[in-house]
Amino acid sequence: MTPLIPYPVVDLGPLMKGLVIGGLGIFHVFIAQFAIGGGMLLAYLQWLDMRGQCIHGRRFIDGYFRVLVLISFVVGAVTGVAMWFTSIQISPQTIGVMVGEFHWVWATEWSFFCLEVVAGYLFYRYGSRLPDRTRLSLLLLYAFAAWMSLFWINGILTWQLTPGAWLESRYVWDGFFNPGFWPSLIFRTITSAATASLAACVLINAVPAFSREEKAKLIAVCARPLIFMLGMPLLGVWYFATMPADSRGWATGGSVPMTMFLTMAVGCSLLVGLYAVVAILRQRLFINGATSTLLLALAFVATAGGEFVREGVRKPFTVRQYLYSNAIAPAAVAELRRTGCTTNDPYPLRNAAAYPTPQLQLGAKAFRVQCSVCHTLEGVNAVPELAAHWSIDQKRLNIAQLQRTKPFMPPFAGTPEELEAVVQLISWVDAGRPADWPSSDDPAVLGQIARWLDEAGTAPGYELAAADGATAMGSRLR
Amino acid sequence: MTLPFPFGFPAATQLYLVLLVVTMLVHMVFMHYVLAGTAYLACGRLFGRRRAADCGWQQRLVDWLPFATGLAITAGVAPLLFVQILYQREFYTANLLLSHRWMAILPVLLVCFYLLYLQKSSWIMKRAWGWRIAVIWLAFAGFGFIAWSWTENHLLSLDEAAWADLYAAGGLRYATAGLLPRLAGWFLLAFPTLAVELYWQGRLCGEPLGEPAVESARVMGLAPVQRLAVTGLAGLAGGGLALGLYAATLPAETRSLVTGGLGGLWLLLLLGGLLAQAVAWGIALRAGRLATPLAWLLTAGWLLGLLGLLVVREVIRLAAVDLKALLPQHERAAGIGGFPVFLVFASLSVAAIVWSIVAVRRGLKQQASGAGRTST
Repeated sequence: MTPLIPYPVVDLGPLMKGLVIGGLGIFHVFIAQFAIGGGMLLAYLQWLDMRGQCIHGRRFIDGYFRVLVLISFVVGAVTGVAMWFTSIQISPQTIGVMVGEFHWVWATEWSFFCLEVVAGYLFYRYGSRLPDRTRLSLLLLYAFAAWMSLFWINGILTWQLTPGAWLESRYVWDGFFNPGFWPSLIFRTITSAATASLAACVLINAVPAFSREEKAKLIAVCARPLIFMLGMPLLGVWYFATMPADSRGWATGGSVPMTMFLTMAVGCSLLVGLYAVVAILRQRLFINGATSTLLLALAFVATAGGEFVREGVRKPFTVRQYLYSNAIAPAAVAELRRTGCTTNDPYPLRNAAAYPTPQLQLGAKAFRVQCSVCHTLEGVNAVPELAAHWSIDQKRLNIAQLQRTKPFMPPFAGTPEELEAVVQLISWVDAGRPADWPSSDDPAVLGQIARWLDEAGTAPGYELAAADGATAMGSRLR
Repeated sequence: MTLPFPFGFPAATQLYLVLLVVTMLVHMVFMHYVLAGTAYLACGRLFGRRRAADCGWQQRLVDWLPFATGLAITAGVAPLLFVQILYQREFYTANLLLSHRWMAILPVLLVCFYLLYLQKSSWIMKRAWGWRIAVIWLAFAGFGFIAWSWTENHLLSLDEAAWADLYAAGGLRYATAGLLPRLAGWFLLAFPTLAVELYWQGRLCGEPLGEPAVESARVMGLAPVQRLAVTGLAGLAGGGLALGLYAATLPAETRSLVTGGLGGLWLLLLLGGLLAQAVAWGIALRAGRLATPLAWLLTAGWLLGLLGLLVVREVIRLAAVDLKALLPQHERAAGIGGFPVFLVFASLSVAAIVWSIVAVRRGLKQQASGAGRTST
């Protein structure tokens, strides 16, 4: 395995790269869920309409589909491509591994995209002039193709957190049908159905031609899929059970932001679900445009929270036990500690003259390779700010034993010289980037850093914690 | 690299090369329609409302461009996937070097997509003609920017020697001698595609393009098929010239690969395809009609020409990259399971697509005959 493929690193200034891909991802997922659930809902409405059980069904289906095309086919398609391009910008190594391992899965998903687009456009263009049976067939085909795109991508996304037997076998279907696959697929299917139902309620209220009574009848029909939200708690528990223990720990108190986002996702889902089941489905209350928009907004917040947690609990990995967040493979850490993470980097610094010493330049290069995917020097999640109150030795120790300092961080993968250079860099930035900065090349300091690195080893934090626990247990037993 | 493309490479590399070329061809069919169609419409709009109303091609483009854009984006996903298998390091590095500039194509694409919908909306129909000119020129400028960015990205991916310096300079632009002629070549060769596609669109919609045109169908003295012939011929001439200029910027070794064993046959196919199209359009221009046998010759020339063009493009790329380093990656990728599953589902999807088109045609006929019976 190549220790680290050197790519030019993109500088997003004060923006944290993870937030960029996360923000886009949340937006894309919400639109995609709307498209998937929309297909299912419209096929259901068409079926009801053919049985005479849905007032203004045909008219509403055509209008809803128009919105679906204008939002999902345009924004959904472009943000889908944008996800790939943004992933390349943020972590080319990660997306490279994902594409390499699952390109046939992606190609299969693409074949369903094609079907979805053609079936969708045929309905959009000719639907109003087609007989009912053909309309239903097209909608079913569209809904199936859209759901199949979820089926395929779900396998890749869940593999990142729970690669399961793939870690041993490297067999694509072991990775695809990983432990998180089924709970995630069913959960996302329900989320899609709920999103489309809530969007339908918003749209029904936006049609001025419908009377209040007609709106109420349509809403009562469109809201029916919300009943499936009752299954979400169970599915959530199932999904959580498939997660690695340390990842579960981050979301349930181990990491304050993760716990907050999980609470936000659960809380918003609960509010939407309760309102849907009690007020809309049981008490048959009329929901107006403002209420349905609020419910849809809550659903968006729930999706955002859920996606944030899904991305966040993978730490310190981007592919569990295979690739760390900074795109360094666990197996490569020891080698990089020997040879250096900047040694084979052919890309010079863009603003080398801004750093007064070669050591700071080395620090900037090491920071670029190891830290910049999640941290900045002066912006969101800035390391100098996070370490501002640490003493210089504390910085050395904490970075040398990074996986112990914060178990969601990967181990430092560079030489003692590179580590010292990073320590000097963050101290220099914290000091306001003075023009003069002494170089630190004391062999005793470098020797101490080397010892700290050796003590921590190259295993991730949760493995060290488990080993420590076993040792402590052993000594107690003795 | 002495055998004709894709022979002479290991089986894994052959597989991905063929898939890249075939899926790229499908992408080009729609992408050319969008790029040249927007340009055609942008120019056509300048001749005023009355001429635009007389020109059936403009109306057809307004109607179909959003759908074609959707298809172009969707069809573009597959070559984007295979390029990441074949030339991952090169493609990713070029993306990263152009960075924000490169990523700007996405919001631009989004805006252009909506502008095409706006172009056919009832909102714009009620506005002054200038609105339509502004909207379509904006969309054209956007697609032009995207085409330029792709060309720049592609050429940068082939020029490893420039990577480190470009990164150090922090520049988000890569200017090279081949950029403009290559961009011009690809852009202008989109017009022959557009002409062929519009011809078949017209034929399938029942336009009598194989017959001499009636006087009312003429715009500026040209019958519908003659307007397509002018479009096609202009694109062939301009595109051929631009690609000739681009070839002059290539290193001698690359040119020898293109004309030698690896690319020679495909270059002949490209030239033959261009020639067949030129002949067919020339006859159509003189006669004012395009008979069916000639239309098939034109279509074959167009498809084979595009195929030749795409293979020559790959040959140029293969000459520029470090192929030895890439081969093990192709081998490894091909060893990963999933190909049979893809083949099965892709076949099913194609069958479902064909079935849905047939079902819609049947449904429309059924409704039309039902309506006919009702009215009688």
